Amino acid sequence: MQRGLEVATPTDTTIVMKRTFDAPRELVFEAMTDPALIPKWIFSPPGWTMTTCEGELRVGGKYRWEWSDENGVPALTIHGQNLEVDAPRRIVHTETMEMGSCGPIGTLVSAVDLEEEGGRTHMTMTLTFDSKEARDGAIQSGMAQGMEAGYQQMDALLAESA
Amino acid sequence: MVSASDRLDLVFQALSNPARRSIVERLRAGECNLTELAAPLRMTFPAASKHVRVLERARLVKRRVSGREHLCRLEAKPLEEANAFLEAFRERWEGTFQALEGVLEQMKADPKRRKR
Repeated sequence: MQRGLEVATPTDTTIVMKRTFDAPRELVFEAMTDPALIPKWIFSPPGWTMTTCEGELRVGGKYRWEWSDENGVPALTIHGQNLEVDAPRRIVHTETMEMGSCGPIGTLVSAVDLEEEGGRTHMTMTLTFDSKEARDGAIQSGMAQGMEAGYQQMDALLAESA
Repeated sequence: MVSASDRLDLVFQALSNPARRSIVERLRAGECNLTELAAPLRMTFPAASKHVRVLERARLVKRRVSGREHLCRLEAKPLEEANAFLEAFRERWEGTFQALEGVLEQMKADPKRRKR
């Protein structure tokens, strides 16, 4: 699966991801911000269902994403606030994650920049964490889930195109 | 007993310092004594030795003393482990962005959208 995404950790508290999409910037911006479209692509842990996806696309507007586990029990909430909205160029929001009934497990700031070139869009996503420990934790926790989810999503896509 | 995650913390912590990263870079070329490591960093022997100690704790470097020389060499495994985490993270997000790509293809194929 060595194609597309570049990941770098240029400072102790950031993760920077770069990827190019074969679509104009307006479409990429819309797909990444429209609550009706987000559930179609956003990462869901295996077996979990996204039960809420709502948000207000304006500076200061809040958004909320919720997932339930395979037994229908609320398991994960990600919520935050839009700090910058400059369609279709840039969006910056805070991201607070809560799992089950244990309160917030950390907040990060996610900034997405979109640049269009010849009908394709270069995306840069910068995740900025409170601390180096939080940043490293995010990288490490991706491992087990990542293996599963990456392949599951790929299977789904392959099935779709078959 | 040090867990895999604690060990990785030590690796990331050790590599968070530019002098130590430069030591690791230098050691990629092969074993080398501490005086040689200290020179390009314009560091005293004890200062370089302190950095090497941090790298030793993270098991990134092995030091052996031969006569008056402190010979250091790189241990590959912890670095590979750290890379594995980053690669797994990358794969998770690549999966997500491939799904996003699927949505974009659907949007592009939607005739209602094309008219806009």
